[in-house]
Amino acid sequence: MTLRPQADKRLLWFALLALPLLIARWATVHAQSSPEQLTVYSPQTSYSVSLLDLQGRSYIGIVDLLEPLGSVDARPDGKKYKVRFTPPGGRTVEAQFNDDKEKAKVLGETLKLPSNFFLQNGRGYVPLSSAAEIVGKLLAKPVQLHPAARRLFIGETPMRFSLDLDKSNPPKLVISFPAPVNPSIATEPGRVRFTFRREPVVSNGQDSVSFDDPVITGANFAEHDGLAELDVMATEPLVPSFADGGRSIILSALPPPPQVTTVPVPQLQLPAQIMTPQPKPPAGPRFLVLIDPAHGGSDSGATITPSLVEKDVALALARRVQRELTAKGIAAGMLRNSDIAISLDQRAVSVNAARPALYITLHAANTGRGVHVFTSMLPAANLSRQGFLPWDSAQAAFLDLSGVVAGSVAAELETRKLPNTTLVAPLRPMNNIAAPAIAVEIAPPDDKVENIASAEYQEQVAQAIAAGIAAVRSKLPEVRP
Amino acid sequence: MTRRILIMFAILAVVAVALGFYALHLKRKVAREEQAATPLAAGVPAGNGPPEPVTLYVANDSDGTLRKTQLSVSLPVERSERARAVLRILMAQYLNSGSPHPVGDKSDVRQVYLMNDGTAIVDTNSAFADAHPSGVLAEELTVASLVATLNANDDKITRVKILVDGQERDTLAGHADLRRFYEAGNIGQVVKDMQ
Repeated sequence: MTLRPQADKRLLWFALLALPLLIARWATVHAQSSPEQLTVYSPQTSYSVSLLDLQGRSYIGIVDLLEPLGSVDARPDGKKYKVRFTPPGGRTVEAQFNDDKEKAKVLGETLKLPSNFFLQNGRGYVPLSSAAEIVGKLLAKPVQLHPAARRLFIGETPMRFSLDLDKSNPPKLVISFPAPVNPSIATEPGRVRFTFRREPVVSNGQDSVSFDDPVITGANFAEHDGLAELDVMATEPLVPSFADGGRSIILSALPPPPQVTTVPVPQLQLPAQIMTPQPKPPAGPRFLVLIDPAHGGSDSGATITPSLVEKDVALALARRVQRELTAKGIAAGMLRNSDIAISLDQRAVSVNAARPALYITLHAANTGRGVHVFTSMLPAANLSRQGFLPWDSAQAAFLDLSGVVAGSVAAELETRKLPNTTLVAPLRPMNNIAAPAIAVEIAPPDDKVENIASAEYQEQVAQAIAAGIAAVRSKLPEVRP
Repeated sequence: MTRRILIMFAILAVVAVALGFYALHLKRKVAREEQAATPLAAGVPAGNGPPEPVTLYVANDSDGTLRKTQLSVSLPVERSERARAVLRILMAQYLNSGSPHPVGDKSDVRQVYLMNDGTAIVDTNSAFADAHPSGVLAEELTVASLVATLNANDDKITRVKILVDGQERDTLAGHADLRRFYEAGNIGQVVKDMQ
């Protein structure tokens, strides 16, 4: 085939234009692909180190690996690479590697690496599979490498968890850890996934567990890519909450929505041949109010009187609000139902994972009179409620609905002649909540501060809150779990 | 006595007098700085200039309001020192016995730093946060009062960040978010709602 000279020119121009585009595309793709990393867990810290692929094997920089564990002095000396390492409070130990050689010396002992040591740009790289042995000798501690998952555990760091299913109605799964954890939590249809990035959580011996329960059916543990994941399978939405200072995570099924009608459903007698079990329909949208009694555990909140603290008043009021909502046919869950500490971030994570139709946080104070109803102080933003929302301003997308609920609750308080004010407030963790959210702070009803704990007063406030929510229920979107 | 010795004595006498004046100047300067570092009682002038009007937004816990109050006080000339002086006058109102919005004893503003973008960094002492009454409304009143007062006396201050002992804190006393910057515009709306 021959081309005319003009066509040749056009082809050349096209090639010249296309080449930079292709280079840009190649660079973009390669810039976006993150290198593989090893996660190292030591008693003091956990950190990640990038891995290098050399001749089809994973290698790790010896200085990158050792630096967070102590003082490192490493220098190439011709073909040799000498490393002096001093752990905190320990004595200095030495290792010597040889470029392009398998033989190394660690603490004077000869060590045969599984493949050659490499020097690249003045930095020394050892095969990943030898990392546990080298670090173990230098630190004089047992070190375990999970090579497929790319996780390295120094000393007694591996953290085994236990699962304890409480089959009461609704069922609860308690996941216990020997130390506090703070995983990221994601809920998907049929499961809740906990991802442990910084915690050295390892298998408890059984990677897959089945439960003899119709709601919480099982759990799977897996580790890969420098992290661990625990999936809990369920046929109904589960609400995670933290307890025991973050050492336990409690997954609770929501209580069934209360029946407001008692009309008996006629039972059809069907011929035996067509009485086949029907597949369970997928969970539809539901209306859940999540109540968060503020503070708890070592965080007592405000001291109302010398013998009465905010955390107890908030919990008592929360239980009343839950009862009142249930009586109105509204499903209501509690973020804490006992005296446990939950951090502000843990509260926001648990609420967002549960995807409620409304979040209400309850507080108490001895300043002022009556009831203060708050919405977030964030400026309103025209954000889509679907997809990802910024953590620090997630509430901005729901401010209009939050305002509707606050107004309705205030109107019900007014109807009951309870003094009230409605304001915006810079209250944590409201800004992080991706759902309509209000805060209610009760103050004493009169000059006697101790009357804040009066059953009659709290009942009136709880009824007003529940009535206010019920009045605007149709305006709040139900949420698919 | 030679002429040279007389000249030397004269020079030494001049130097001695000059040093005396310098020592007096230093003594006065130290006294001024000590006065500025001592917690203010209500009404004590904060500067050496002529009295000028200062606007305070004073919180009241009993009805959850902020009341605009004007005082006539001497203020320093430098902007950040003026801002600090204004906040210390406000703090003095809250430290008075019988204040409608009490704060912890020895609460003070250590320093105010002004940035070119209109941000004021208010560094309070630990007594301010550690002993602040806990409560959503009580803490919000304090924050709104500080921000509105700063903005009312220096309209170039458009946002405020509150530190405690030079460090960022999660909350003031368990409720009001101290990790964020407070926009004077937002607080202005809150102040209207609280009046």
